[in-house]
Amino acid sequence: MSLRLLGVNHKSAPVELRERLAIPEQSLAEATRLLAHHPGVREGMILSTCNRVELLTAHDHAAPDLSLFLEQYFSIESASLRPHLYEYREQDAMRHLFRVASSLDSMVVGEPQILGQVKQSYSVARQVGAMNGELDRVLRRALTVAKRVRRETRIGTTSVSIASVAVDLARQIFGSLAGKTVCLVGTGKMGQLAARHLMAQGASHLTITNRTSTGAEILALELGAEVLPFEQLYDRLDAADIVITTTGSSEPIFRREHGQQLLQRRRNRPVFFIDIAVPRDVDPAMAKLEGIFVYDIDDLQGVASQNQSGRNEEARNAERIIEREVERYTESRQALDAVPSILAVQRSFETLRQQEHARNAVRLASLDAEERRAVEDMTRNLLNKMLHGPLTALKAAAREGDEEAMRAIREALAGEVADASNEDDSVKGGAD
Amino acid sequence: MVMSLLWLRVAVVLYGASALVAGWTTLREGSRVRSFLQPLLIGGLLFHFVSLVEVLNNNHHWMPMAVHELESLLGLLLAGLFCWSFYRYGTVSLGMFVLPLVFLLTLAPAIGPDFETFFSPRLRNGWVLAHIALVLAGYSALILSFLSSLLYLLQEQRLKSKHAGPANRWLPPLDTADQISYRMLLIGFPCMTLGLLTGSLLAESSIGPSYFSDPKVLLSFGMWILYVFLLWTRRSAGVRGRRAVYLSCFVFLVALSVWAANAFSTVHRFSQP
Repeated sequence: MSLRLLGVNHKSAPVELRERLAIPEQSLAEATRLLAHHPGVREGMILSTCNRVELLTAHDHAAPDLSLFLEQYFSIESASLRPHLYEYREQDAMRHLFRVASSLDSMVVGEPQILGQVKQSYSVARQVGAMNGELDRVLRRALTVAKRVRRETRIGTTSVSIASVAVDLARQIFGSLAGKTVCLVGTGKMGQLAARHLMAQGASHLTITNRTSTGAEILALELGAEVLPFEQLYDRLDAADIVITTTGSSEPIFRREHGQQLLQRRRNRPVFFIDIAVPRDVDPAMAKLEGIFVYDIDDLQGVASQNQSGRNEEARNAERIIEREVERYTESRQALDAVPSILAVQRSFETLRQQEHARNAVRLASLDAEERRAVEDMTRNLLNKMLHGPLTALKAAAREGDEEAMRAIREALAGEVADASNEDDSVKGGAD
Repeated sequence: MVMSLLWLRVAVVLYGASALVAGWTTLREGSRVRSFLQPLLIGGLLFHFVSLVEVLNNNHHWMPMAVHELESLLGLLLAGLFCWSFYRYGTVSLGMFVLPLVFLLTLAPAIGPDFETFFSPRLRNGWVLAHIALVLAGYSALILSFLSSLLYLLQEQRLKSKHAGPANRWLPPLDTADQISYRMLLIGFPCMTLGLLTGSLLAESSIGPSYFSDPKVLLSFGMWILYVFLLWTRRSAGVRGRRAVYLSCFVFLVALSVWAANAFSTVHRFSQP
């Protein structure tokens, strides 16, 4: 059984092509079924996310033409598809799958969604009966490896987007966000995103204020927030624990004196200012006040970059884990390849042993049951001991993928059996 | 080997394991070994408590009368307070500092004989137990408050410097460190107050009013006034953050000097027969 993986991802293909190749969730089962019936494919799975479409197959003899499957399924010309395709076989296919499941091949390394998407594709492939042998084992191992990478490295523990860094910082200041009030000043896209993230992570209350109240009202309706008239901002800001500011003002709207008033009214409870505006809405002097934490867009970007560097470091550890897992799996797979040969050898020698017993049945007839059992055990143990060396060598050769050595051992053992049978025959013939 | 020593050694092993788990969990975020911390700690507390009760019972005195017994009691109180804060706030990082201290405080009584015992007949008074236990509880709370304050300072410095990336992520959230520090002060205050009160009454009855001129006693009352001031500034004046942390640290240092003042005290000396 051979493995093959073919696909496109965010590195190999532009978004226009990836859009054309995306398979909607509701069509995934049908597409997987078609793949499983594609000529040459024995088992198959399709992984389709916004950043990649990959076909993973297992086949017996001739490798299937998977790019033809993509061309037919998506009705796409070969010339516009083939230059963007990548293909991996055997160990390389396995390695790529392990890397994808462990989020090492993602656009944002360490993002957690990809593991869920691989699980989903695996589940669909099993449901439609497209996976039931070797590929099933590979996928199960891929999921185990991905979990191991999550467990043993810190690849996914830090935030790398501006909005998630803001949430992370808020947690480092306040611990839990439960009961915390967020005030969004301005209705910029990035601010909205940060506010949504904070609310999704447990912040209890959101107020929105904007110079033009219409924009604030529409957004407040959408987010279930309260609208704060802009002219009341300074009077009612003390209720907010986290202030996200994203106005287009050319001058800072929060100055040091506002911060001092705020701290006085809040009895020095900390406030976190997320200043996403350019030019900045918060006077940098305010950050010097104790109890006020100000992060502007560059600071947030800086933290995101530090976290990204940390992830890259962890990614190197993850690559080492994956390399070891690929080796382990390959070894165990090759050892499995030796199983039919080992069973065949054991069967032949067992037949020979039984024939020998049958031949001596008359001479052993005088023995009682216990003595006969002792002779039976003795011959079986003797056979096992004699075969131990050759079979161990056979397993080792399989693990190393040394086909030559495997054939030589098999032939030598088969020769032994044949010689023994011939000897039997000649003895029989002589007796006749 | 007496059973109390066996229980104490089991407690030491469990505390040691808890300290390792706390350190590992703090430095390896998301580690699954975190779930072992609470059972190990509770196990350690139980064995420690049983051991201490047995020691006091076997020696027919219901108060610590030796340095090792005092260390053991302080360790038990520290472990108990940390266990509470872990249950309440879920912050392990404090344990990275507290649990090794608990381990060391209990290790000495668990491995070696006690050479320094208190012989004073004045210690044969039941009120002394209350005095010792309450003052030690006050000290334990101050130690935890101090450690939590240090973590607050580190976290604040980290967040203010804008280097809030992957380095030092083990530090507790700022607000949590502040709350632990404040709660510990609140827990420690009644203990310290009642401890000093019982100590004063005992000294008054046995020595007379002259006890008040003793440097140890004077420092103790000075520390208590500072303690009251600290709580007042936090509760009424709303002082928190760095200034509150500095105050906590100052009170802790005064408490240490009160402890050290035993060397100069004429009233609070019990080791001479």
